[in-house]
Amino acid sequence: MKVRPTVQTGVNQKRRQILKATGAIGVAATTGAFSEVIYAQGKKILKIRAYGDLRSLDPAFSQGVIDEEIQSCIYSKLIQYKPGREWGYDLDAAESIEQVDATHIKFKLKAGIMFTGGHGEMTAEDVKYSFERIINKDLESTNAPDWGTLREVIVDSKYEGTIVFDDAYPPAWNIAMPYIVGNIISKNAWQAAGGKVDTTTPSVSGPYTHKEWQPKQKTILARNPDWHGGDAPFDEIHIFPIDDENTAQIAFESGDIDCTRVSLGSVGNLKASPPENSTLEEYPSLFYVWVGMNVENEKMADINLRKAVQHCIDVPSIMQASYFGAASPSTGIIAPGLIGNRAKSNVPPEMNIAKAKEYLAAAGMSDGVSLTLDVLNKAANVTTAQVIQATCAEAGITLEVNLHESGAFWSLGDSSAGERYKDIQLILNRYSMAPDPSYATAWFVTSQKGIWNWERYSDPEFDRLEAAAKAETDNSKRDEMYQTMQSMMEDSGAYRFLTHEATPVIFRNTIKPAFRPDGLPLIRGFTSA
Amino acid sequence: MGLYFLKRVALSILIVMLAVTLLFCMIHMVPGDPARILLGPRATPELIASLSAQMGLDQSLPIQIVKFFGNILRGDLGMDVITNRPVAATVFGQLPYTLWLIFTAIIFAMLIGIPLGCYSALHRNTLIDRITGVISVACITAPSFVVALYSLLIFAVTLHWFPAVGAGDKGDFWDQVSHLVLPAFAIGLSWVGYLSRLVRASMLEVMSENHIRTARAYGLSENTVVYRYALKLAVLPTVTVIGVGMGFLLSAALFTEIVFARPGIGKLIFDSITTRNYPVVMGSVLVSTILFVVSTTLSDLINAWLDPRIRASL
Repeated sequence: MKVRPTVQTGVNQKRRQILKATGAIGVAATTGAFSEVIYAQGKKILKIRAYGDLRSLDPAFSQGVIDEEIQSCIYSKLIQYKPGREWGYDLDAAESIEQVDATHIKFKLKAGIMFTGGHGEMTAEDVKYSFERIINKDLESTNAPDWGTLREVIVDSKYEGTIVFDDAYPPAWNIAMPYIVGNIISKNAWQAAGGKVDTTTPSVSGPYTHKEWQPKQKTILARNPDWHGGDAPFDEIHIFPIDDENTAQIAFESGDIDCTRVSLGSVGNLKASPPENSTLEEYPSLFYVWVGMNVENEKMADINLRKAVQHCIDVPSIMQASYFGAASPSTGIIAPGLIGNRAKSNVPPEMNIAKAKEYLAAAGMSDGVSLTLDVLNKAANVTTAQVIQATCAEAGITLEVNLHESGAFWSLGDSSAGERYKDIQLILNRYSMAPDPSYATAWFVTSQKGIWNWERYSDPEFDRLEAAAKAETDNSKRDEMYQTMQSMMEDSGAYRFLTHEATPVIFRNTIKPAFRPDGLPLIRGFTSA
Repeated sequence: MGLYFLKRVALSILIVMLAVTLLFCMIHMVPGDPARILLGPRATPELIASLSAQMGLDQSLPIQIVKFFGNILRGDLGMDVITNRPVAATVFGQLPYTLWLIFTAIIFAMLIGIPLGCYSALHRNTLIDRITGVISVACITAPSFVVALYSLLIFAVTLHWFPAVGAGDKGDFWDQVSHLVLPAFAIGLSWVGYLSRLVRASMLEVMSENHIRTARAYGLSENTVVYRYALKLAVLPTVTVIGVGMGFLLSAALFTEIVFARPGIGKLIFDSITTRNYPVVMGSVLVSTILFVVSTTLSDLINAWLDPRIRASL
């Protein structure tokens, strides 16, 4: 392994030292050594990109994936997502864990898990404090819904406890315990810090400690010498917030980072001529993209018009034009690999102009109709809108595309923000989700009308199924229920499902990465190759 | 000079107040509920209402403006609602990165542009003057983000001479310098062209004036005439342009900070606007407006100091 040459620090640099370092950089540059090393400043450092900057180190106020990528490195959980192509979990702080009945999960902690900062050993009391504080209304945690029907955690002994739910809550295994709200914090440390923290943390128990946050530049994690799992693979992990994927790719190619997600548009080029000493892998994503139709809009209230639009949209063309062939058409809002994913959709992905015209005739619009399509101003969305515009025109539907910047777009369907929600006719939308089907369907129930249900779709049977499926412990029944719900959405004509996109990631061969089945990095699982 | 200074400072304060009020109104007219955007999809209506109140959004716009200025007078820019840090800490943590970038770009532009313009003027209508003219115009027309992308591809990706992203490790001066080279080059290049053209035109004008002819008639050496008498006057318009140029460099810095994933006030404003983090938006806008006004005021004061006719004009 070659060692990355470094320039000595300090302003009082001697001329000879500078020349020596410059020479070394020159040699490294000409030999391509930059692309082969993961050592810097004499330390073994993993440099990885995140798509945003740290916001909070408190699991109660963590704002999604970006914070979780950091928190999962510094805190322990009872279970962690298992790296690989299939969803599952590995034990972390738990020595054993078991669903004893529909509403009770029993766990036993490993002995000797130490919190840093002299805050002692992790006990069941810490688990109780960590989980219950999130559902405590006084704390106003935005992540409370992830714990679903959690009632309490009963401490059975120093290391043993029972998680108790009011009603069965299977998503606890998928989106609670191995994700954001499953991070276990030190009760002592948090209480001493006043009950909540922001971008610093008083104590950790994971493989890495939080060393430093340089806002808008990087977060530095350092090896935790007291980690119960042994020696963490890297001395330090540097997490760079780079929101633009093309910039991230340039940073990877220049040797500044060791791993990043890349844009779908660059997958073809990277496959044809991959950067030296690197590997490109493609994972399916959990995002779901669809064209929604506002059923309460005067024009769109006619189901025949909605169905005409469904048949006008040619999903394979969108996959080629907007996703460069790197993504596949979806069958609903639940991604492959998850409970509830459908093998095929009711409306075929290919457009059927003849059928669209039949529906238009049934709607009394044989002479054509003008509609609007609201779109967030991202490149893929704009291309998708243009493809839809072109194929709709073939059936006689004239589409006017309205572009919005993100802040304006994400309040379009919000009925508390004015009357604009009424004007939505067609909307190209994209939601993210966690690996449980309940996370996808929750936004389309009647109570979400005017909040996140912008199609204003409402069906009592859908609402009933949504509530029942969330509490169903039999996975095959659950699977069936979620499939039915997606069929109902599609049959309403209010949805044309497009894709789950894809997550292409590139990494240097000097590291052995660990990814979730949806391609998100599990940074604590990264090792050197 | 003292009266001129006082008048100029009073005018600057008025400009800052007007600009910030205008921006305050514009930001609040943009659609999108900040509390909802900040809290994300799982926020309850109670949480949204609570954050709105925390941000003062439940009050009327005039009251919000008055409170904002009241807090400024007390030195309080409010709290960043995302990270719960004081806005002043967030903004002043990012400001040095942008200032370094702008100053380095300006210094780079001055070091190349002024001698180039001077040389062109002294060799008027020669081949070198024409080549310099073409290069200067090419520099002016090249957008900074295009220069940024190509410099990244050439110097970072292909040649590995400089790092591509970030601002370098804290406390490591040389690392920070190496991270500054490409961004400063990207935004400074067009200014090389501007300054070169400006100094050339200005020099040509000054060189034809009577006092220069008189100096030559006294038998002073050409170097003394050019560097001691002519250049001093020819540089005057450059000082004004650089002052005004700070504003343009702030906008160029935004693109550069995004392309180079570099911290800075431009990137901070951009991120805060997209997340509707109003306290940070207003804090950053206030600081960058002050920065802009201070730089133009300074250039006016320097001009007035160098040229007494300007002092009499205000």
